[in-house]
Amino acid sequence: MQVNQMQLDALKEIGNIGSGHAATALSTLLQRRIDMSVPEVWAVPFEQIADIIGNMGEPQAVVYVRVEGDAPGKAVFFFPLVSAQIVAQLLFGTDHELDLFDDEMAQSALKEVGNILVSSFLIALTQFSGIALQPSVPALAVDMAGAILDAILLEEGTLDDDVLFIDTQLSGIPQIEGQFIYLPNEGSLKKLLGALGV
Amino acid sequence: MSGIINVGMADYRTARVPDILMTAGLGSCIGICIYDPVQKVGGLAHIMLPTANGSMGGNPAKYADTAIELLVEEILRLGANKSRLRSKIAGGAQMFAFPGKPQVLKIGDRNAEAVEAELKRLNIPLLVADVGGSFGRTIHFDVGSGELRVRTINHGEKVI
Repeated sequence: MQVNQMQLDALKEIGNIGSGHAATALSTLLQRRIDMSVPEVWAVPFEQIADIIGNMGEPQAVVYVRVEGDAPGKAVFFFPLVSAQIVAQLLFGTDHELDLFDDEMAQSALKEVGNILVSSFLIALTQFSGIALQPSVPALAVDMAGAILDAILLEEGTLDDDVLFIDTQLSGIPQIEGQFIYLPNEGSLKKLLGALGV
Repeated sequence: MSGIINVGMADYRTARVPDILMTAGLGSCIGICIYDPVQKVGGLAHIMLPTANGSMGGNPAKYADTAIELLVEEILRLGANKSRLRSKIAGGAQMFAFPGKPQVLKIGDRNAEAVEAELKRLNIPLLVADVGGSFGRTIHFDVGSGELRVRTINHGEKVI
């Protein structure tokens, strides 16, 4: 569906509030300062996602949470491997290099980070819109960003020519960087915008 | 000097020897490489879904059942002989496993099936398929030698 400027602004505001909650939750969890960019709302042909996510062949730790409820969608966290390593080490209070590909404890810690971030985002979204939303069990993949992204986009076996998503960068000290994107499903967008009165 | 030509999602490109065609980060998508070993021309398509379901409009390079035929036409235009064409494919992974949820829609597997069926329909022999698994692939295809280099993050690298 086409969205107008007022609707884009409303989505940006959702992103702002939701991602703000998520950044605060991450900051509390890691006991580190976490900053957040002003969210962008992209409504673009899906081919352009590659330019927004960056190098599709680069390995990243990605937590994917399906959002269920009255306006379903997809929430995805991209952590560059260096950042994922730091986050996992902080949570375990260790300096030892963790094997993000195989260490189930490290993987489950990263999933939990994703879970907390997405839950915070959704609580804000629900408060703001009045629409009930729940996160599914988080899934983690440590692999090429593009490979993970295509699997998420194509999960239902369909893909619209245009995709809309809210995009926020998170950054913290030391060297914590992440990208959070939220993609409302096609029908959900209408509901969200309707609930916001735009 | 050989150039490297990047093929994006839902896109296809052709090349002549000594150029290399590449596509990065194939997950459930599939990279289809077709070439004529005598003329040393070929192409690479990066498809995302099995079938366009007859839907007109949109990007035909997105679907196995519309992209491959277009790619073949383009390769023939570079002087390839239809009867000499052969193919290699890679991709079609299942990147996520959700605990407690049956994977009713294994899109990677469905993509691989659709690609293989379409190659068969067009009478193009499929020499080798590196498909499935739960990891991403970046591929480089040398149209001159027909060598397909498949790189992964944690599952090694091979030439098929």
